[in-house]
Amino acid sequence: MKIIAFANQKGGVGKTTTAVTLAHGLARHGRRTLLVDLDPQGHTAFSLGLEKSPGLYRLICLDEPLRSTVQSARPNLDVLPGDKRSESVKRLITLSDFRESILSDRLRAADYECVLIDMAPSLDVLHVNGLVASDWVVIPTRLDALAIDGVKEILLTMGEVGQRGHGFQGFSILPTFFDRTTRETLAQFKEIVKAFGAHVWPPIPQDTRVREAAAYGQTPWEYGPDSPAVTGYLDNRQRIGGYQQALDRLMEVIDA
Amino acid sequence: MPDPKPERRTVIDPAVAELLTGLERQRSDAALPRKEREKKARERAKIQARREARATYDLPPALREKIRLLAEEQRVPASQIVTLALARFLDDLACSKVDLGSYKCPSRSPRYDWNLEFPPELIEAPRSKKKGQGRA
Repeated sequence: MKIIAFANQKGGVGKTTTAVTLAHGLARHGRRTLLVDLDPQGHTAFSLGLEKSPGLYRLICLDEPLRSTVQSARPNLDVLPGDKRSESVKRLITLSDFRESILSDRLRAADYECVLIDMAPSLDVLHVNGLVASDWVVIPTRLDALAIDGVKEILLTMGEVGQRGHGFQGFSILPTFFDRTTRETLAQFKEIVKAFGAHVWPPIPQDTRVREAAAYGQTPWEYGPDSPAVTGYLDNRQRIGGYQQALDRLMEVIDA
Repeated sequence: MPDPKPERRTVIDPAVAELLTGLERQRSDAALPRKEREKKARERAKIQARREARATYDLPPALREKIRLLAEEQRVPASQIVTLALARFLDDLACSKVDLGSYKCPSRSPRYDWNLEFPPELIEAPRSKKKGQGRA
């Protein structure tokens, strides 16, 4: 089992959309997938057309078994939903022994091929729990200076978690909301590629269909399978970027 | 033993590299005057259109030479000679005027079941010149 976290301390960079889309993509490929919502906003379940519910709270605070706290969202895809009661989880974890590995202990026992964790844009004990539980971290980022600063911050946090003995297998940076018509996008993209090289995945094009998809409780695979955010840009008869290519990269990570 | 030649490592995702090149090209094109930009776009479209029509096959050198000579003699592009020859061949094959079976020999390659073996005179023989030959 591989556990992948989607993290960036900057909000609004596409963490939830990316986690939901890639989780559903994996499930469509027949991989038994669990999507965990660590964000008290509870948007993971909402994006899949489900109601927010205190799944994480019941798992950690009420000590219920994982199978009774997850909801089936699609074939091969279960969700451990969250809502505002996830805030109470943080308080409980803070008071617990071995607090950094509480989530990891619960998830490692699960019977899934892949677990994707949608992290909140914060730096609290739940965030650290998510990082400690994960093998790989995908960092979605907009191509602007503030979001890229968020990338730097999450890498520093990963470094700190690493110093406490947790070994990540690696990380990837996924540029989102990519608008190839602006100079700033190109400038930031070049910067990020220069700094992180092969860690940078092909970007996800800016696409209104993705925003619409969440409103309908559908994933981009269902709502706009031919939209640029899914299929990428057509460049020289080649498709570049998009969630399809990100999914290919993610499956390489999972199968490695 | 000499050290193995160091291999250059790919440091960025190939799709990312492709995208960066495209974006750089767009940016440099944007700085050109409109006429030059349009000319460049036309040239690129032409190159891309030609790409579809390109194919690479291995041919015996003697056959290639024959095609070159014929193209020179007729003052037409060699590609068009080959296009005509292939189209005629496919027609003949469809009408059973050509029997591939007579050239087939078992192949030891895991990829193919057969090889076509041609009699040397078919490939090597000089092209016979017939005057007043009509359009084939």
